[in-house]
Amino acid sequence: MKKRVVITGLGIISAVGKSLTEFWNSLVEGKDGTKEITVFDPSAYRTKIAAEVSRLDPEAHFSKKEIRRLSRCDQFGLIAFREAWKSARLGQNSFNKERAGVVLGAGSGGILSVEKYFRDYYQGTERSSPSLLISYSLATTTDHIAIESGLKGPRTTTATVCSSSSASIGVAYEMIQMGLADVMVTGGSDSLCEVSYSGFSSLKLVDPENCKPFDKRRQGLVIGEGAGILILEELEHASRRGVPVLAEFLGYGICADAYHLTAPEPNGEGVERVIRIALSHAGVSPEEVDTINAHGTATPFNDIAETRGVKRVFGERAKAIPISGIKSMVGHCLGSAGGIEAAATVMTLKTGIIPPTIHYEVPDPLCDLNYTPNQSIRKDVQVALSNSFAFGGNNVCLVFRKFDENQ
Amino acid sequence: MKTNRVLGAGQRENADCGSPNRGLFRIPNSEIRNRENHRIVITGLGIVSPIGVGKEAFWENCLRGVSGIKPIQGFEVSSYRSRLGARLPEIDFKAFIKPANLRRMDRIGKVVVSSVRLAIEDSGLDLRGEDSGRLGISIGTGLGSSDTVDQFFRSLLKDGPLGAAPLLFQTAVPNAITSHCAIEYGIKGVNITFSHKESSTEMAMTFAYHLLKEGRADVIFAGGGDELSEPLYHVYSMLGALSPGKGKGVEGMRPFDRNRNGIILGEGSGVIVLETLEHAEKRGARIYAEMAGAGLSGSTDGLLRYDRKGDSIARSMTLAADELQAVDHISAAANSTPDLDEGETLAIKKVFGKRATEILVSSLKSVLGEFDGSGGIRACGLALSLYHGMIPPTIGTEEIDSQCDLNVVLGQAKKKEIRSALLNGCSNGGSNISLWFKRYSA
Repeated sequence: MKKRVVITGLGIISAVGKSLTEFWNSLVEGKDGTKEITVFDPSAYRTKIAAEVSRLDPEAHFSKKEIRRLSRCDQFGLIAFREAWKSARLGQNSFNKERAGVVLGAGSGGILSVEKYFRDYYQGTERSSPSLLISYSLATTTDHIAIESGLKGPRTTTATVCSSSSASIGVAYEMIQMGLADVMVTGGSDSLCEVSYSGFSSLKLVDPENCKPFDKRRQGLVIGEGAGILILEELEHASRRGVPVLAEFLGYGICADAYHLTAPEPNGEGVERVIRIALSHAGVSPEEVDTINAHGTATPFNDIAETRGVKRVFGERAKAIPISGIKSMVGHCLGSAGGIEAAATVMTLKTGIIPPTIHYEVPDPLCDLNYTPNQSIRKDVQVALSNSFAFGGNNVCLVFRKFDENQ
Repeated sequence: MKTNRVLGAGQRENADCGSPNRGLFRIPNSEIRNRENHRIVITGLGIVSPIGVGKEAFWENCLRGVSGIKPIQGFEVSSYRSRLGARLPEIDFKAFIKPANLRRMDRIGKVVVSSVRLAIEDSGLDLRGEDSGRLGISIGTGLGSSDTVDQFFRSLLKDGPLGAAPLLFQTAVPNAITSHCAIEYGIKGVNITFSHKESSTEMAMTFAYHLLKEGRADVIFAGGGDELSEPLYHVYSMLGALSPGKGKGVEGMRPFDRNRNGIILGEGSGVIVLETLEHAEKRGARIYAEMAGAGLSGSTDGLLRYDRKGDSIARSMTLAADELQAVDHISAAANSTPDLDEGETLAIKKVFGKRATEILVSSLKSVLGEFDGSGGIRACGLALSLYHGMIPPTIGTEEIDSQCDLNVVLGQAKKKEIRSALLNGCSNGGSNISLWFKRYSA
């Protein structure tokens, strides 16, 4: 029997909020987190904006010694993890920590620290501090969380960048299905860094103004940062602990376009396939889907391919499904995008509010669906999807349902 | 709705619950995994290793005890305390990869794609006859191309953001190697990349195994690898991980040895073809071994620390193998560090008790060097051990440490009919994974 898996905790840090409540209120209000970059000097770049987490106060969370060893990515991950842990009341209950693990998705990981080291090393200006290299591995944030909380269950890190933390949620779910864990910490964390910023810049995929998914004027993404952490838990375990359930995770799909290293398959065939795999795995029919949290990067090609893929699955009904592009507010957080968007999807199921796609003004005839423009809406949402697509056509689609214990 | 062949776990019949483990390190009944009904077999091996490209050269050199470790050439190491590495020989990648695709790939991309090509050829699969949506790929790697990331970063430092090279960036992402494989061979099903230090490839194989078991694919290419680049070497050196460390010892890789003093880096890629038994039988495939379990567990000793007490490794082995009595051999994770070799020894003793000395243990890490994605090649080695009834020696080791008093195969390869065996992957930071392979019998 497939085990039922539910979400019992969420933690967020993002450009529009450093807690779940602040984040969700911002999304509902349609607040844009885009601002001028301060974590590195953007003056030499064509574009100078990002959805940066401003006024991060590490001293409020960590000791001086810890701060020296923690990359910005680690700090985001730990802060969001602590919130998720608390909201799932895992600190209060005793449970078997050998059956609780961590699977995070990574993007740039601690490269911001590693960059600093290698900048000093190659330029020979300052003595580089080897402690910056502790963050070299993409597994670092995952390990920090497990070590801080003493979790001795399964542990790994997915590394598909833009879809990493959606994939990690799928992998965490499998750890529960395999009988190896009752509780899994999952999602992802990522921070701004020059390698990813200049990389997307060099591919001319960054919008100089703001992120306008599905709008005809869109010029690309705005890079974001932060962490979105979810606590996945086997339903019976959650019931025994008496902890409130936020939503149910029904299943997911994961597949590849096998088309191009950076461009999506233009007809939406890969998007169609991943949604169909996800629905089939979740045991849900297309008619039951009430909303979609889009990948919606606002790059010219992604938004068309995603729109086409959605239409291929849902046919005429596609236009009736409200789609939400929250990257217009939180930016594209790469390794944590899937985790942050999954958290937003869970909140939609819990509150019945679908956050908007902001900066939407000029419709694109090639993107002709209902993108929930500029204003959040209320709707009775039973089933919601969250899409994530990555370089190389790495597609993931997650399926969540409003929790109903009688079902 | 178009029908979709991908079935969810809930749509599959559930098989028996099996008997609980009877090892000393017992897992309560409630923790026994629920099992689906597909048997999973290994039907192809693709190896690009420092001791040979292709399974024949690799296996012959494994059994002969040839080491891939040599003085590093290709980049300057004179300013470091360590000189050695297990680098790949020069390879003519044109023999494996379509020329049009070759120019888009960096070195590690070529290495991993070649290993998949070798695995496909070895398996006898005709991909044109397969449903591409039922083929998958699951890859583990430390960083993908550490060298490309470095080149890209240096182009940024030298020429500024406007001079940074887009072609480098698109292969700098760790999943580029997996995407290359999917594009090259039209693999449209499951596609995932893991990066979790030295257990990366073991995770990739675990994920593939589980999805196949639930019937969510027919064939998944699983494994992965890494490259030994100058920046990677620099980082390991600065973190103090490389032999001979700060002490006076001699640089070398000698798992379980009294004088072990750290790792030597290696590189390469290994991929196994994992397939449902039905699918393999239908096409009359040669079966090297059966994959019958995976166990995962974590230790929390510290960010760069291995499971020195062995509790977590013991758990992962116990969770992986349903019949611990039938385990005759362990392909160890031991990497010539003081902590891991001792921790793995303690774990084996905890799990097998008195029987621990009957189990033949060998580590291929002194042959291949250590790298995050070494599990792919080591899994190929273990499949060959089960198939041929031969266990390669642990080379480099001269005097077994009293803290590592296992039955380590030293000197010469050993002939042994192996009923089943474990492959361990243990990372610093504490992700421990064991895979359970069985000799195949219908």
